[in-house]
Amino acid sequence: MNGYLLRIDRISAWTGKAFAWCIVGLTTVVCFDVVARYVFNAPTQWGGDASLMLYGTLFMMAGAYTLSRNGHVRGDVLYRFLPARVQAGLDLGLYLLFFVPGIAALAWFGVGFFWESWGFSEKSQISSSNIPIYPLKLVIPLAGAVLLLQGAAEIARCLICLRWGQWPQRLHDVEEIDIEELKADLDAEHRKERK
Amino acid sequence: MRAARFGLVFLALTIVAVVLLLLIPEQITRGHLGLLMLGLIVVAILLGFPTAFTLMGLGMVFGFIAFHRPGQAFFSSPIFDQMVLRTFGVMTNDVVMSVPLFVFMGYVIERTSIIDRLFRSLHVTMGRIPGSLAVATVVTCTIFATATGIIGATVTLMGLLALPPMLRAGYDVKLASGVIAAGGCLGILIPPSVMLILYGATAQVSVVQLYAGALFPGLLLALLYILYVIGRAKLNPALAPRLPREESNVPMGQALKMLVGSFVPLAVLIVAVLGSIVGGVATPTEAAAVGAFGAIMLAAGYRRLDWARLKESVFLTARTTAMVCWLFVGSQLFSSTFALLGGQGILEGWVTALELSPIEFLILSQLVIFLLGWPLEWTEIIVIFVPIFLPLLGHFGIDPLFFGLLVALNLQAAFLSPPVAMAAFYLKGVAPPHVTLGQIFHGMMPFMAIQIVAMVLLYAFPQIGMWLPRVLYQ
Repeated sequence: MNGYLLRIDRISAWTGKAFAWCIVGLTTVVCFDVVARYVFNAPTQWGGDASLMLYGTLFMMAGAYTLSRNGHVRGDVLYRFLPARVQAGLDLGLYLLFFVPGIAALAWFGVGFFWESWGFSEKSQISSSNIPIYPLKLVIPLAGAVLLLQGAAEIARCLICLRWGQWPQRLHDVEEIDIEELKADLDAEHRKERK
Repeated sequence: MRAARFGLVFLALTIVAVVLLLLIPEQITRGHLGLLMLGLIVVAILLGFPTAFTLMGLGMVFGFIAFHRPGQAFFSSPIFDQMVLRTFGVMTNDVVMSVPLFVFMGYVIERTSIIDRLFRSLHVTMGRIPGSLAVATVVTCTIFATATGIIGATVTLMGLLALPPMLRAGYDVKLASGVIAAGGCLGILIPPSVMLILYGATAQVSVVQLYAGALFPGLLLALLYILYVIGRAKLNPALAPRLPREESNVPMGQALKMLVGSFVPLAVLIVAVLGSIVGGVATPTEAAAVGAFGAIMLAAGYRRLDWARLKESVFLTARTTAMVCWLFVGSQLFSSTFALLGGQGILEGWVTALELSPIEFLILSQLVIFLLGWPLEWTEIIVIFVPIFLPLLGHFGIDPLFFGLLVALNLQAAFLSPPVAMAAFYLKGVAPPHVTLGQIFHGMMPFMAIQIVAMVLLYAFPQIGMWLPRVLYQ
């Protein structure tokens, strides 16, 4: 069972990491636009649209990846001190009551939202560059679907925890600070200084 | 466990308050439903479910009720379309767009090890000042705060860099941990801060003006921290002993060279980014993108740029951005439902019935935010509770920009107030085992008092914050 859950984690992480590279694109597009605007005095028409699309895609598609790493901020004053089974019970109820309706709406009603836009090949209103906007709208149902899948995995985790009394293992990932690496660095510098 | 008890008491009090509020009126209107939703959000957040989805869920449930007409089919409720539209609204919000860029810049700089060189060169050059290590910590944090808006990272990093040398030099554990926790949180106040972007997006205040306004209050707070540390060290040298000879015996020339090497490139980048925003040359998004590019160049210059580090920064950026932006999605749905139910009208009625003077209102609102900062985090306060105060500002003739600066300063305390003081937990995570959470909390208290002093100062002399935006934009 846990194998399936980890596989879902990997799907979410792979998707999130693939779209994470949008940030490099976003940086490049905006920098290009800045140079075009302030150096050559010839701002691009498409810069504004492209950067908004990259930003929107980035955070939407990373939602499931963040959920798979338990990265969405929680108010855990109480939660942290609760027994694992109580945590799982609360989470299970709230996933069904709070998470599923909104995310399912994104996945399902997002399709209609995209379909309508696609139907008359809607153009972006942000600039006059006439870039089609429907690809960005397609991101909504896609992100919703991946989140829903990850949500199913989280719900399964709650059930496992309710059954066995402890949370199943998660994958290890990049941390904000690589503590081991930093410690190694500091030691190396100290040794260099002593010489 | 004390924290858990506190949480339970807070939970019980909220539930009692909500029940009382609903018993008082003779008739439950839609507006009261809105207030119920507002009370429930506090309860629901404390249940520990991810806040973004808690907001989204309550918005959906109450929105469904608000839109409900007898005989309407379940799936034809407009709330489902609202969910999609609000999400799309956040996806095309050009203010929030600068968040991932600033986050990216912060993570890249954090991985260059600049902060580590900066700290070591600063504490060597400052060797003669009382409490030099603690002062160097605050200065490093302040400089780093102007380059990044990430909080957890700074506290963790400084906990690793500055705590061991301070403890080795015989510093008081409480003073040492307090100064790291307080200094590390400056990143959220001093621009470019993600908090101010979210406030700007929520309150429709220009982020540029917020940045200009927050610069001096942020520096003032850092200055107060430094004065406090020097004062304590002067009065009681045992708290912060001078460095032993061999550690401070680095030749001045060498120390200065280190300082120049670590400070100047970073300073150029910061001045370029902040200067172009505050000077009105570039939008925050443009400056952030150039800043992120500059950070990558800087990393390359220090020979700290490789594929692995870039990849880590990219992935971390995606996670932090998703966390912030999904929270914003949830809050947008929540506040649109709250507006639909009309709870705001009742709240406004109450506040105007109190017949407060503007000063009393300001103090009351800041007190509420301060108290909410104990169980909740800044993100939740900004996206849920600030929008409730905003419509009242016009009634009292308070500038939303000034209010934003007070809130930003106030929320500094939210990081240091137990039991959800994030700073304390980040620090505990990397501190030597003999440093207890109790000592860290204890050490943070004087710094919380300083934050209140800073708020009073800002209130008494609004020019501290308002001078720069006025000079630049009027």
